[in-house]
Amino acid sequence: MKRRVEIGLLYSRSGSYSLISAACRAGAMMAIAELNADPDSDVSFVPVERDPGGNVDLYGPLCEEILQETTARHVIGCVTSSSRKEVIPTLERFGGTLWYAVPYEGFEASDHVVYTHACPNQHLLPLLDWVMPQYGRRAYLTGSNYIWGWEMNRLARERITQAGGDIAGERYLPIGSRDVGRMIDEIRFSRPDFILNSLIGPSSYEFLAAFRVLGTEDSHFHPSHCPVLSCNLTECELPAIGPAAEGLVAAGPYFRGVDGWPDSARPGAARFGSSHEAAAFTAVFELARLLKGRPGTEELSIAQLLSEDRRAGGIVDPETHHTVLPAIIARVEGGAFRVLHRRDRVAGDPYLTRGAQTSAAPYLRVVS
Amino acid sequence: MRRAIRIPNLGGARAVILHRPHPTVTALIRQLTAIGVDVAQAWPELGPDVIGADYVFFDADMGHDGMFPWPEGQPPMPMIALIGSEAPGRIEWSLRAGAHAQLLKPVGDNGAYSALLIARDAFDAQKALFAEILDLKRRLDGRQTVVRAVTLLAGRGKSEEEAYAQLRQMAMAWRISFEDAASRIVASRDAASSRPQEAGHGRHNG
Repeated sequence: MKRRVEIGLLYSRSGSYSLISAACRAGAMMAIAELNADPDSDVSFVPVERDPGGNVDLYGPLCEEILQETTARHVIGCVTSSSRKEVIPTLERFGGTLWYAVPYEGFEASDHVVYTHACPNQHLLPLLDWVMPQYGRRAYLTGSNYIWGWEMNRLARERITQAGGDIAGERYLPIGSRDVGRMIDEIRFSRPDFILNSLIGPSSYEFLAAFRVLGTEDSHFHPSHCPVLSCNLTECELPAIGPAAEGLVAAGPYFRGVDGWPDSARPGAARFGSSHEAAAFTAVFELARLLKGRPGTEELSIAQLLSEDRRAGGIVDPETHHTVLPAIIARVEGGAFRVLHRRDRVAGDPYLTRGAQTSAAPYLRVVS
Repeated sequence: MRRAIRIPNLGGARAVILHRPHPTVTALIRQLTAIGVDVAQAWPELGPDVIGADYVFFDADMGHDGMFPWPEGQPPMPMIALIGSEAPGRIEWSLRAGAHAQLLKPVGDNGAYSALLIARDAFDAQKALFAEILDLKRRLDGRQTVVRAVTLLAGRGKSEEEAYAQLRQMAMAWRISFEDAASRIVASRDAASSRPQEAGHGRHNG
């Protein structure tokens, strides 16, 4: 007889990042279905869903609703960092745990959150270290106007200038805005070597379409010469972008068909549609592993679950609540990602204090 | 002018928490460990190793004078007050002890990282200001010497303005500050005027 354990799902089914939400939700639902059908698992998860509809102010109240009105203590959810920051006080108040399955900008290690996707030493830093020796060190930085874009670009600016490079320009758009004309003009005039794109949703799609047009007008901006880089673009958004995604270079812990994803159920499984799907799937599976054979533990905090975990196969670092992931760099070619470079087993280092990030090759400048 | 803000790399930094064992200390240790900082806890006295610490968190509620092995209000590292009771007297004491930032108790899931960064920035700013004030004071003290040096130089038939310009040229030639050049001139004149007297002494005693 299986234990029925309620589990919260807090994903926006509409709004500007709904494709990412849908991918995460699909991964979580797939994991729940597999676990519930697995005779070896003594846990049967019952999903309790709330839909904030892309409204950042609904995450806190809806998370509270899950923790207050149901028995669920674990919530799989949130896409934007703003929404994650909104739910943390609620988690703290009611002793809940958020399993966060999206790449983010780092500098956080909440005792109430598990981070199953990548942080900057697993995406941005390897990506910059890869791009600069090949394409040059002059960057144009874009982003959506919130913490993800701001912090990614701050970190990129620091890394690039440390390496002797410079920033050709930096511009932000409000979430949802398609007003990319000024960015494109600035790029046209400043002629960077590469572009770091931390825009999200429709802003990003519009930007990539406009940049593709720019590339046809001026060969300097062909992706083979001046690539657009992204740390949050996965297969789940490729259909919305279409041919404008060709040549885009992304960093991530997984791309469709690639081995090495730390899947506690089936090591090396390469069956997920995107890293968002994989990270949400793994969150549910890791929770099931922590609860397996220990009735009543669904009431415990994640800190207790992790500190009492004596079994092999755990993937969450009890100090930082981050995971060890591959750092893969891949380019969109013919509508799919092709791997260009990979580093295996990079431990999440949210404060960049553990020296786990790839160190930038020292660049020396001739000073005349 | 404002200095550039520096985001310190906290990897391997050492923090000492001066507070009795308490859930607040446990929560703070968890946060600091996640950040990558090495933590030691001490109460009621700081060990000698605190001198090597990069940050000190201290209890503002039960802290008292004489807890710190340095002159009052002059800590050699950034200090963060752990404040429970927001009584004005306790806040006053924390400030006197040299707090650069504060964390309110009970400490929970966050706050340590921003406290570390704000305390570091305030500490660096304070240190830079102290150094600048010290330098300005030194120059102010040297003002009398400058006047004497200019008078001495002007005494050789130069106008005051010419004497001033000459002093500036000497400082540049010797690669020392204006004030140091002035004191060198004054010293050489003093030495010159005291030499015959010293010589006289020599004769009497020798």
